[in-house]
Amino acid sequence: MILEVDKLRIHYSTRDGVARAVDGASFTVPEGRIVGLVGESGCGKTTAVRAIMGVLAENGRQAGGRVVFKGQAMDEATTRKLRWRDIAYVPQSAMSSLDPVYTVGAQLVEVMTKRGNHSRASARARSVELFDLVGLNERRLADYPHQFSGGMRQRAAIAMALALEPSLLLADEPVTALDVIVQRQILDVLRSLQQRLHLSMVLVTHDISVVAYLCDEVVVMYAGQVVESGPVRDVLARPRHPYTMGLRNAFPDLLSDALELVPIAGSPPDLREPLSGCRFVPRCPFAQPACGIDAAMSGNGDHRSACRRDSEADTLRTAALDPRTWQRSSSFAMS
Amino acid sequence: MRLVLGRFTHNALALLAVTTILFFMFRLMPGTPLAAFINENLNADQQQAMLEQFGLDKPMWQQYFIYLANLLQGEMGLSFFQRRPVMTILLEVLPNSVILTLTSLIIAYIFGVVAGAWLAWKRGTWIERAAVPAVLATRAAPEFWIGMVLLAVLSFNAGWFPSGGASSPGMAYSSNWDRIFSLDYVHHLALPVLTLALYLQGLPLLLMRSNMLEVMHEEFVTMARMKGLSEWRIVIGHAARNALLPVVTAFALGVGLSMGGNVVIETVFSWPGIGRLLVQAVSVHDYPLAQGAFLMIALVLALMNFVADLLYMVLDPRVSHGRKG
Amino acid sequence: MAERAEPVASTRSSWSLSPVLRRMVAMPLKDPFAFTGILIYVLFALVALFADQLAPIDPMEILFTKAGKLAANVPPGAEFPLGTTNLGRDIYAQLVYGTRSALAVGLSAAIIVSTVGTIVGLVAGYFGGATDAVLMRIADMALSLPFLPFVIVLTGFLGASTSNIVLAVALLLWPNSARVIRSQVLTLRERAYVEAARVTGASAWRILFVHIAPNILPLSFVYAAIAIGWAIITEASVSFLGFGDSGSVSWGMMLQDAFASQALSRGQYAWFVPPGICIVLIVVAGFFISRGYEEVFMPRLRGR
Ligand SMILES: Nc1ncnc2c1ncn2[C@@H]1O[C@H](COP(=O)(O)OP(=O)(O)O)[C@@H](O)[C@H]1O
Ligand SMILES: [Mg+2]
Repeated sequence: MILEVDKLRIHYSTRDGVARAVDGASFTVPEGRIVGLVGESGCGKTTAVRAIMGVLAENGRQAGGRVVFKGQAMDEATTRKLRWRDIAYVPQSAMSSLDPVYTVGAQLVEVMTKRGNHSRASARARSVELFDLVGLNERRLADYPHQFSGGMRQRAAIAMALALEPSLLLADEPVTALDVIVQRQILDVLRSLQQRLHLSMVLVTHDISVVAYLCDEVVVMYAGQVVESGPVRDVLARPRHPYTMGLRNAFPDLLSDALELVPIAGSPPDLREPLSGCRFVPRCPFAQPACGIDAAMSGNGDHRSACRRDSEADTLRTAALDPRTWQRSSSFAMS
Repeated sequence: MRLVLGRFTHNALALLAVTTILFFMFRLMPGTPLAAFINENLNADQQQAMLEQFGLDKPMWQQYFIYLANLLQGEMGLSFFQRRPVMTILLEVLPNSVILTLTSLIIAYIFGVVAGAWLAWKRGTWIERAAVPAVLATRAAPEFWIGMVLLAVLSFNAGWFPSGGASSPGMAYSSNWDRIFSLDYVHHLALPVLTLALYLQGLPLLLMRSNMLEVMHEEFVTMARMKGLSEWRIVIGHAARNALLPVVTAFALGVGLSMGGNVVIETVFSWPGIGRLLVQAVSVHDYPLAQGAFLMIALVLALMNFVADLLYMVLDPRVSHGRKG
Repeated sequence: MAERAEPVASTRSSWSLSPVLRRMVAMPLKDPFAFTGILIYVLFALVALFADQLAPIDPMEILFTKAGKLAANVPPGAEFPLGTTNLGRDIYAQLVYGTRSALAVGLSAAIIVSTVGTIVGLVAGYFGGATDAVLMRIADMALSLPFLPFVIVLTGFLGASTSNIVLAVALLLWPNSARVIRSQVLTLRERAYVEAARVTGASAWRILFVHIAPNILPLSFVYAAIAIGWAIITEASVSFLGFGDSGSVSWGMMLQDAFASQALSRGQYAWFVPPGICIVLIVVAGFFISRGYEEVFMPRLRGR
């Protein structure tokens, strides 16, 4: 395992109380694999990967748990040292992540000379290499971020992340802001780089079809917790948590038998409210009174999920394929 | 280039508008237009010469164009009281005003930028909470009153600085530049500069502070953190560099605005600059001189507005470097 | 569906009006800065109102000692809290009565500036086109005049009176508020309830003044608060330069008086420090209030 995240808790203090954005999430990233971190918006994915980088918003703090990188538990000092040299980050919005007053080339050189042991000359040479690697013309190194198109910016952000040859890449919704064709191109760039450079990668997305396209493993997050994880093929073919079943119904590519996309009614809970038991209960068509008590992750082998009705997973999965299942309100199901 | 031309025309037109307003303002003053421009103390020949030079016997619209043509050649007539060409008098005092303004502004902006960035960094502390209202108070105080208090304390009471003027009586210099580079001149300059700088530092300080606070929340600053860049590099190299853009523009604007505002400071410290000249000219109804001084101030204002536009274009790559694709 | 459109539109507009007003009134209670600002205004208003009671001595009266000599340059004490001027006038009384002229100058300038600015902004923003272009060019022109020199030339030649000063200030300050209000109107114009009012056939002026203007009110208020300060400082500066209304008792005239009669070299701080502090207080109060309102109503407008 290159990365282990263990019972991580991240709290934001807000005017209306503490938001438990990540609430005891655990997952691992095997060496040389791409792990998809998937869940609807607001489930704590960005918070989780930023916590791994050790860079939280001003009002955020780690309230518990630990992050282990290559067998070493990370504290403030080690995170500082590892940043960008071993773990790099590809942001969702490459535009706002590049400083508008410097050329892209200058920003590449900056990180290589300040954080790596490149001279200016070797940094420049490597910038050319990196641009080549991500499929950008080296002449564009002299351009400013606003002169790039969205797809090019994302490529530049990937080049930036690879500058110091990290072993782990955290990509936070790297294609969400792009149109479908460009999405595909960027995902292909990521895949080929991952194979050539033997990178390990966490790919954050809310789009389960992106996971299917690119990832080896998947971690499903809901309301700050991990509800299911395992190899992509297992999880997507035979989801065991109702939330994963719902997500699968809500996205196009994978549906073979259902004709329509079925969204999950409602939205993720407000993480500032105190929550207990399974967080998905209010939206779950299969919820039972027993679901009010927390369920631990369980399962045989790699494929694990956190559902009280895990033993009935096969039955539930069949029922979940029926769009009508998702129209029922949970209170009806519970009574 | 098109942008530059556009801003130039805009500012030039504004200046033309000001000169036009001024033309009519002075013609519509109480009394005959002749009286407004020709000193009765001149002899008949001189009066006649001026009448022709300014076309004062012609219809108003012709007078207007003669006025513009004269202006373009720097011809603004004779001062009533000094009996010398207005232009000569203006050029004599202009360096004093420029030196006073630039010195104060440079000091104010260096201090303001540093202190503003520092306060942004100290946000939420009691220092910041106390400093912001204090700085607002310096912006709220009339310039001349700050000058009066400093004058009373540092000059009359402590005796550290002379109480006015630009040079001690009895000093003789071989040239104007000799005078300006003398210690005596600097000594006279110190107190007005201190006053003006104290008044002016608030704008860059507050601007820098709020820009910094805004920029520190930008994604690229977070990214700089993730890259593991040093705090110094993040704050200075990225946040401050971005926050500085509007402050630099404000500096250029400040030169123009402050030239107008100097009227009171120059009066408090009897500083022989263009503002004091304007006040004196207006109070003795020396119309040609008042008009000339006003136009000079308006010209500097328009020029500096243009410089501010240019600076903004040069400093912000989003404006200076067009989109590609 | 069609017959329901009208009531929906009208309830929506009246619904959108009251929260703005309610927030306007409630804001000072939440923002300590704005609260302080309002408090300062109220205090000065009370002083202006009860000037006669607070200062029984006539500010222009020339005072004599019991021995019958001119009570000139008397230091602060029990009889004259801030001492007397070189002509034997009570400085404290001048300070108290100066509040009246300060508020008169400030308020009249503020009313003109915000009224003109609001109307021009509303009309330019709502009607657009040539009206807008012409109004904004005029605004540009007014803004390219150097402020204080213009006021000096105007009052110097038209005559040194308080109303001329107010006029000059108003002439130069309205474009600032007009510009900002115009841009706010541009966004309000596209709002759903304005659209709805237009569909139901409300006249342009009705839409402008019934539906849009109430939402602009906080902005007008901000610029009024700023104009009060500017007008008072300008009156003081112009008076100091000798173009003031010599018959009036104002803080600016006090400062000019103190300066001209060498109060500085005599160290009569009680003469020239208090009027300055009063000006600072009243101007700062304007800053505080506008700051509070800007933060609540238009957080993105700060800076310029
Ligand atoms: N700086 C912050 N302060 C307060 N709450 C935050 C902050 N950032 C994120 N949150 C909250 O934390 C939760 C998780 O957010 P995020 O990590 O961005 O989720 P995701 O990336 O899955 O969309 C959300 O409910 C969000 O509102
Ligand atoms: Mg996110």
